[in-house]
Amino acid sequence: MSVDGLQRPPAEVRFAGELAALRDGDTGDRPPGWALSLRAARTFILGDQKAGITRKFVGDPSLIDRALISLATSRGLMLVGEPGTAKSLLSELLAAAVSGDSTLTIQGGAATTEDQIKYGWNYALLVADGPSTRSLVPAPLLRGMAEGRVVRFEEITRCPLEVQDCLLSPLSDRVLAVPELAGTDTGGTDSMVFARDGFNVIATANTRDRGVNEMSAALKRRFNFETVFPIADFDTEVSLVAQEAGALLHRSGVTAEQRRDVLEVLVTTFRELRTGRTGKGDAMERMTAVMSTAEAVSVAHAVGLRGWFLRREPGTPADIVSCLAGTAAKDNPDDLAKLRRYLEQEAPRRAGEQWKALHAARHLLPG
Amino acid sequence: MGPTFLGVRHHSPACAALVARVIDTLRPAHVLVEGGADLNGRIDELLLGHELPVAVFSSYRDGLRDGSREPMRHASWAPFCEYSPEWVALRAGRAVGAAVRFIDLPAWDPAFASRRNRYADAEVRYADVVARLCAEFAVDNVDTLWDHLFEAAPAEGLQERLAAYFDLVRGESDATEEDAAREEYMARWVRAAVADAGERPVVVVTGGFHRAALIRLCDPAASDPAPAVWPEIPTLPDGAVGGSYVVPFSFRRLDAFDGYQSGMPSPAYYQHLWDHGPEGAARELTRAVVERLRALRQPVSTADLIAARTAADGLALVRGHAVPSRVDILDGLASALVNEALDVPLPWTARGTLAPGTHPAVVEMVAALSGERVGRLHPDTPAPPLVHDVTALLERLGLDRAGPVDLDLTRPDGLERSRVLHRLRVLAVPGFARDSGPRTGVDPVLTERWRLSVHDGRTGALIEAGAYGAVLEEAAAAALADRIGAAGSDVDVIAAVLFDAALAGCAELSARLLEDVVRRVGSAPEPAALGRVLAVVLSLWRHDRLLGTAHSDTLGAVLAAGVTRALWLVEGVRGPGLPADPGRIGALVAVRDILVHCGLDDAVHSGSLAVADRVAADAGAPPDLRGAAFGFGWSLRGEASSVERAVRGAFAPASAGDWLAGVFALARERVLAAGGVLDVLDDLLAGLGEEDFLIALPALRQAFTWFPPRERETIAAHVVARHGGAPMSLRLPEPADLVAAGRALDARVDAVLTREGLL
Repeated sequence: MSVDGLQRPPAEVRFAGELAALRDGDTGDRPPGWALSLRAARTFILGDQKAGITRKFVGDPSLIDRALISLATSRGLMLVGEPGTAKSLLSELLAAAVSGDSTLTIQGGAATTEDQIKYGWNYALLVADGPSTRSLVPAPLLRGMAEGRVVRFEEITRCPLEVQDCLLSPLSDRVLAVPELAGTDTGGTDSMVFARDGFNVIATANTRDRGVNEMSAALKRRFNFETVFPIADFDTEVSLVAQEAGALLHRSGVTAEQRRDVLEVLVTTFRELRTGRTGKGDAMERMTAVMSTAEAVSVAHAVGLRGWFLRREPGTPADIVSCLAGTAAKDNPDDLAKLRRYLEQEAPRRAGEQWKALHAARHLLPG
Repeated sequence: MGPTFLGVRHHSPACAALVARVIDTLRPAHVLVEGGADLNGRIDELLLGHELPVAVFSSYRDGLRDGSREPMRHASWAPFCEYSPEWVALRAGRAVGAAVRFIDLPAWDPAFASRRNRYADAEVRYADVVARLCAEFAVDNVDTLWDHLFEAAPAEGLQERLAAYFDLVRGESDATEEDAAREEYMARWVRAAVADAGERPVVVVTGGFHRAALIRLCDPAASDPAPAVWPEIPTLPDGAVGGSYVVPFSFRRLDAFDGYQSGMPSPAYYQHLWDHGPEGAARELTRAVVERLRALRQPVSTADLIAARTAADGLALVRGHAVPSRVDILDGLASALVNEALDVPLPWTARGTLAPGTHPAVVEMVAALSGERVGRLHPDTPAPPLVHDVTALLERLGLDRAGPVDLDLTRPDGLERSRVLHRLRVLAVPGFARDSGPRTGVDPVLTERWRLSVHDGRTGALIEAGAYGAVLEEAAAAALADRIGAAGSDVDVIAAVLFDAALAGCAELSARLLEDVVRRVGSAPEPAALGRVLAVVLSLWRHDRLLGTAHSDTLGAVLAAGVTRALWLVEGVRGPGLPADPGRIGALVAVRDILVHCGLDDAVHSGSLAVADRVAADAGAPPDLRGAAFGFGWSLRGEASSVERAVRGAFAPASAGDWLAGVFALARERVLAAGGVLDVLDDLLAGLGEEDFLIALPALRQAFTWFPPRERETIAAHVVARHGGAPMSLRLPEPADLVAAGRALDARVDAVLTREGLL
């Protein structure tokens, strides 16, 4: 695949060199159907400075261990967590490591139907020839089973229940029936697709969607649940925000570097409103809006843009307040009240000139 | 032959096994162990045959030299379990006929001033290098790293790996002054032992963190040629009181140290590892978790167990363990048994205590790791001093017999006896029950009645309580501190503990504990409970000369924290349609009273008024709180701009009563004094339509209950006079709710008549 001009090539293309290096140096036993051994797959995600493998996921290493083991057993892997915790990135990396391919992806949504998951038909051929392997259009699940690869199912809980449940027999009996092919000339041997080694499912679900389409107990049992948490370490998160926002600003043509202390105020605000707990441990209320690292990056980006294009400077806490009102509090009056209370009561108790500036800019909140 | 230095991690089974092996092989003349040298005469007492875990408890109080300050107190524990390397060294050393000695400074030495657990992990204080090692091995934290490198790794080469690990940890950090003093002292023992042993071996068992320094200090080529004599054992400073004694300990307490005091977690797991090896430990841990979950009627199917075991084996494989380690098993169980999203991360991915919101199955897993084993002392163990102290106290005060006791708290002897009894109650020593006496609240009760009985369990309970302190007052204070630790953010419990502390005469908390209380009050979840607590604490702070808590610093700090928190909570209550809640109004009343009486600084004053002004003007806040916030400002400032406007603005029939309830609760006196408001209210009420009046009535009646009957009569007289009526009896012939019901009926009848065109 030519990478030029692609906005975002898949992981196996972005990290093709690292994957190749790992494959070549891989001496461990590979689970049947896997492209890498468990340890090499682990190294691919967690990184190894000496071997020139970058760290691609910031989080507890044990989470990766458990996720890989789930994929090697007969249960699927369900990644759950708040929005913006890099679940989809992790699922992409896992699929790239295990199968060398992260493109067998089903995007769940209210309009997802079974034929987007299992298989559909080329209607012209279907009308001309009747049901046959030629007129069958395989969807990711069928391909993953037939080829022994990992299938990604994004936002599974956005799908209606009956659609989710079509995963039951592929996951438990490892077989997918295509009843339309049963009576055809091939003698019906194509009517059952048995999963090859290497097939498994990585689903992601958003805890904000909890209760919208609650998964059936039967399906839950066929998945191992792994919760992906926001980044626990403050310094790691600040660095990540600085790095990601810096890259975005660079692409937007902003040359001024953001101040670290301003970003620290921004990330602290996000973390405290996200967890409902101050750094000292005092309980507060959580915001209902998503306050993930990804959101922090986008606010940091907006802060940088405002500062640069309005005043040709790197952005101040006053910009943070303006951006928070639009991106974090959105149109929810309760969230706006929580944010206001935070700026009025919490901010003045912090030491530092940027906190003072944040407190002083509180009147920029609308309403 | 030079000494053999074994650097260990305290409470590590792998290190304990290594110590046993080395001592058995070398059969040394001397075994030197990290531990207070003042205990050397009493090693026999330690080896009497106790059921472990036990601990050496040390307490210390210095003499009051200048009278200008509180005596310095310190209490610490040196816990031992069967798999503690130090314990194994004592036993194995004795078994091979070696001379066994402790070689560290006594627990009361200033070098231990900030330590509560002698056998805490030193390397936790040197987090940088540990964090780098964790990143290098791609593990979550130091405990997992330890399991990976030592407990779950083969025994070959263990000694060298330990040395390399601890040299790395130590190599990059400068030891503190305290560590340096201890190492200097320990090295003197080692040099003396080596000189005494001649050609025979000497084994030194200390925390791995000290090993490199000891080797350096004991190198015959480098050290000064001072004669190697046995060091003196430091004696207590003049006027100081202190001592060490053996007390029963428990796995729960061993696991409860946190922060810099913590050692290896999960004692029950490591006990199994010591007893049964890694396979057996895995089996026992799984069994304990499943038994606990099934006892709670949580389904754990055989399929789940197979999945858990498969996952654990797989994880061991990925992580390079021959058999599943502690975290492999836990991760496997979590994968198989938790099939929903977690609210907080798995506790074994980070150090520290369980976070609220931990998944119930995970809570059981952690409980199974921690275990419930409680140590028991051999019957011949000398009783801890607390037992003698209490016996003597009870005798002196005439409380050593059964029967009722009446105490007058206003007399010094009554107060002293009351405090002793309360301290015993706080320590849960059986046989002391209180029938009546002061309770939390404002009503002054000056007498107490107790019922004493002779109880078999008294001595046992006192021995257990001996772990809290050497004298009754200290022990009670430590037990109360424990209760605060267990209270979580339940402020009602904290209020009860503070009240108990006042009764027991230990109301001045140590700085560390006070910080803890302040933190918990600072995270109280809802205003009503916080308001109740603040009211109790304020009355103790203002009035209690009886219990000696008036103007206590401790309570002052709690009040200041409470004010900040209450204001935060009050601003967060949303819901314009919520009915009045006396609890949250009470929170603002408490804050106002604190501001009036406690003299907090101006910034707090102006900050509180700003919060109140915002809440009063906030259309999204409940009406009662808006009223209360308005009353708050009115009462504190002594005036309010445009009171009349505010009253008229808030006077919607559905919420007027709730709003007024808030105002009346905080600014009752102002309402009565400023006659104008009563007139405004009267006009507004008179202007209400019949139906609106009935809607407003229940809440209005509730609001006026904030006035005592006498003031209600004043109001009524004022209103009657205003309407030109003569003074009269204001008592209605029928109960008020009956009259209201009658009026509602009248209104309905009128409505029907109007509808049918009959009126």
